[in-house]
Amino acid sequence: MTTNRVNTDDWGDRGTTVLDANELVLNMGPQHPSTHGVLRVILKLDGEKINGTECVIGYLHRGVEKIGENRTYTQFAPYTDRMDYVAAVSNGMGYCEAVEKLLNVEAPPRAQYIRVIMAELQRIASHQVWLGTHALDIGAMTPLFYTFRDREEILKIFEKYCGARLTTHAFRIGGCQYETYEGFEKEVLKFCDFVEPKIGEYEALLTTNRIWVERTKGIGILNGADCKALGVTGPVLRASGVKWDLRKAQPYEAYAKFDFEIPVGDHGDTYDRYLVRIREMYQSLRIIRQAVEGLPEGPIMAKVPKIIKPPVGEIYHSIEAPKGELGYFLVSDGSTQPYRTRIRPPSFVNLQALDKMVRGMLMADVVAVIGTLDIVLGEVDR
Amino acid sequence: MTLPKIARKFLLLDLLKGLSVTFRYQAPKEIYTEQYPLERPEIAERYRGLPRLNVNPETGETLCIACDLCAKACPEHLIVVESERDPATKRKVLTNYTYDVSRCMFCGLCEEACSTDALELTQDYEIAQFEREGLVLDRARLERGPEPTVYTR
Amino acid sequence: MLNQLTSYLNSNQTPGQAGNMLWVLIYILVVFGGVSLFVMVMNWVERKALAHFQIRLGPMRVGPHGLLQPIADALKLFTKEDVMPEGADKAIFWSAPVWVVLTGFTTLIVVPFGMTHAVTDMNIGILYMLGISSLGVLGIIMAGWSSNSHYPLLGSLRSSAQMVSYEVAMGLAIVSAIVMTSFTGLGMYGAGTTPGVGTLSMIEIVKAQQAQHVWFVFKFFPLGFMAFGIFAVAMVAETNRAPFDLPEAESELVAGFHTEYSGLRWSLFMLAEYAGMVAVSSIATTLWLGGWLRPFPNLLPGSTWDLAFSFVPGLTILFVAAVTIRQALKMPQHPALRANKIGMLGLGLFIAFLGLVLFIPGVRVRVGDIFWFCLKVGFFIYLYIWYRATFPRYRFDQLMKVGWKVLLPLALGVLIVTGVVGLTPELTAWVKGLFA
Repeated sequence: MTTNRVNTDDWGDRGTTVLDANELVLNMGPQHPSTHGVLRVILKLDGEKINGTECVIGYLHRGVEKIGENRTYTQFAPYTDRMDYVAAVSNGMGYCEAVEKLLNVEAPPRAQYIRVIMAELQRIASHQVWLGTHALDIGAMTPLFYTFRDREEILKIFEKYCGARLTTHAFRIGGCQYETYEGFEKEVLKFCDFVEPKIGEYEALLTTNRIWVERTKGIGILNGADCKALGVTGPVLRASGVKWDLRKAQPYEAYAKFDFEIPVGDHGDTYDRYLVRIREMYQSLRIIRQAVEGLPEGPIMAKVPKIIKPPVGEIYHSIEAPKGELGYFLVSDGSTQPYRTRIRPPSFVNLQALDKMVRGMLMADVVAVIGTLDIVLGEVDR
Repeated sequence: MTLPKIARKFLLLDLLKGLSVTFRYQAPKEIYTEQYPLERPEIAERYRGLPRLNVNPETGETLCIACDLCAKACPEHLIVVESERDPATKRKVLTNYTYDVSRCMFCGLCEEACSTDALELTQDYEIAQFEREGLVLDRARLERGPEPTVYTR
Repeated sequence: MLNQLTSYLNSNQTPGQAGNMLWVLIYILVVFGGVSLFVMVMNWVERKALAHFQIRLGPMRVGPHGLLQPIADALKLFTKEDVMPEGADKAIFWSAPVWVVLTGFTTLIVVPFGMTHAVTDMNIGILYMLGISSLGVLGIIMAGWSSNSHYPLLGSLRSSAQMVSYEVAMGLAIVSAIVMTSFTGLGMYGAGTTPGVGTLSMIEIVKAQQAQHVWFVFKFFPLGFMAFGIFAVAMVAETNRAPFDLPEAESELVAGFHTEYSGLRWSLFMLAEYAGMVAVSSIATTLWLGGWLRPFPNLLPGSTWDLAFSFVPGLTILFVAAVTIRQALKMPQHPALRANKIGMLGLGLFIAFLGLVLFIPGVRVRVGDIFWFCLKVGFFIYLYIWYRATFPRYRFDQLMKVGWKVLLPLALGVLIVTGVVGLTPELTAWVKGLFA
């Protein structure tokens, strides 16, 4: 029987960790079933209580921002899908709107309505992925399959509309490339009626379940002031009591025309974030129904030149992606390729809150907290 | 009926509610699995799969006019269009067309840029090959179109 | 030897009591072999049932409907490399899985499948089962310690702490059922006890339920039901299954006491876990659900009802055969699936043959008890799988809180009230005597 020895001398950790008798350093490595991607979290434990964390990211860095400097504006749009690969439509929408603002054009009303419908469908799909994986981390295996099955219907609609399920590349600069297909409205409304009782089922499985409540109430508390100080946005911010949603605060697309509510939580714990996202799914259904009913006729593409050369300038435009505020900062130097594409991913900024949320919690709660932040490493690392 | 909270907690009603949800889904009609490769999924018409070069059905000539717009539109620069000018008609004639699927994002920009109906992304999604070279499609392969595998085992 | 073989056939005792060593051996082989086979079947059932709860199909490719999957898994585990960590205590590392399997299977010798169908019937049967399953905890600690790695050690300590704490609540629930065996009153609310009559023997407990004309789960409703409920929760925690499976959960940091075990050794741990599930399910069946008694022995009494119920085992097996054959015929017509189709049809016909055998009068009379017992144990196994599919996991401190702060006081309360309620005639007579 052979013995394999591993040299652990170069596994050191930037001199920040001292192996104390009272403190154990645990590495939740990049390959881990619960870190939602390749995230490395170094935990300093005192028994089971957590004294501090350090996140090491960059395992999925693909240089998207650098790629942007070498592609034309039209060519860069498919790359944005691959950042938050769970919510590709929102990424594309944010980018197209940012370039449209640079060009000073506005998408026609029909395109705006189609964009809203697709973005809200994508929000439901993203929250379903979140719910399935979060429940799986906490131990409930079945909601994953239920949410993915329901998400299949959304992906089928996407496939029929733009030709791809995940990396949709649904919109173009100036509007939408694809006209809605035959029976689009009927299918979307049928989907809304299909999924509403299903969200009720997810709630029946989890919301009042005593095990779920015990695992998530009081875990990972983040109050509103801390959220604002760290720059945390999205459902995490809203669950901490701050009523801030870009769809209402700085309306873009056609959101100003729809009537919907912003769910807000009280305590800022994991259970509140869960409730906020579930309610957001219901509100998205409301928006979709209104948008489908009010879908105007007309062109779907504004008058945009074939070769896009925005005037010299810069712009920052952000939208309410399912995970938070997704921002695009584009600097144009007058040529066909942007000078700088800087992306503000919501998961990257939300991940900073991990340290604050996890102090004093037990080891088993780290997994729940990472899940509740809803991070996608594609966005964090770009 | 709304029992007082302590009765609900004692009778484990929340747990029973969860149990009833999972129990319902055991019925065979709820099973969502598709037994691939015996059951293939339904693909939408607009699906962006493997590309194909269309050919005029009557004459058998390619519809591609070698305008090179697809190569210019591709973000990955993986299309190579080789052409020569026909001295008689003064038009470009396509000689060779190479499409490297290994780096393709299936974004559809080439299909949109094509000025004729030549380049089309089909519904073929079974792209896996055993060798890296098999993923560089030349004109002949592109004109043949999708060749779905029939599984016998 | 032939004399030994035949002399037992008409006895009304278990082979151990009758002293017939040949039949003891036969029974041991049947029980242990049967449970091992059942563990393989349970593996398949768990994967398929869990999959159906999750709206998917489970294994379908290895054999028709995945029926050969457990065999494929077993073969894979047997041929895996035998890894022992450096610095591990070799003797203890080797013997830990053996110990766990030993204790897991030894508890099964008192499990009564019928009135005379146990390997032996000790007069301390239930105490023996509890004691031996407590010894199994030692095997887990041995496994964690000998792995020479702090994750398995922490996992094994947690696992053993969990098992020990839930044994207390389990024991108290069992005691309240045993208290009920000494009651003399008939029916659901009959009280009154004869001192010195209660029994720890598994077969006698079922006979007491038969004599009192009620299953203990319904006795003094809701007391018996509460004791049953406490035991049902404690037994899930005892066997480290969801929702109490934090020590062996995959998405937590500590992977549990069997981290360093691979291949055959790991499969021994799984075997012991499933055998433990069977053991505690049989305790629950024997103590509360009337063991081998057919349903409604007193609501629908008489020999005609007995006859009617005796057809149920055969009909159930024929139903299973019918489902198998129907699924085989429903398979799509594909050349690759022909072998699967023929295999499944063969299996269906074999099961039908077994079902028909169960209609033969001689067999029918003897098999009824075994069938009802196995049905009830199977119901508990199904509950295990259902819980795993539905519930999230408890965190370890919450798990211990439930065991000590919720179940233990509840079990104690149920026990005291059961005792008081059972003594009601004596107590009322005593109180009357005080005032007379």
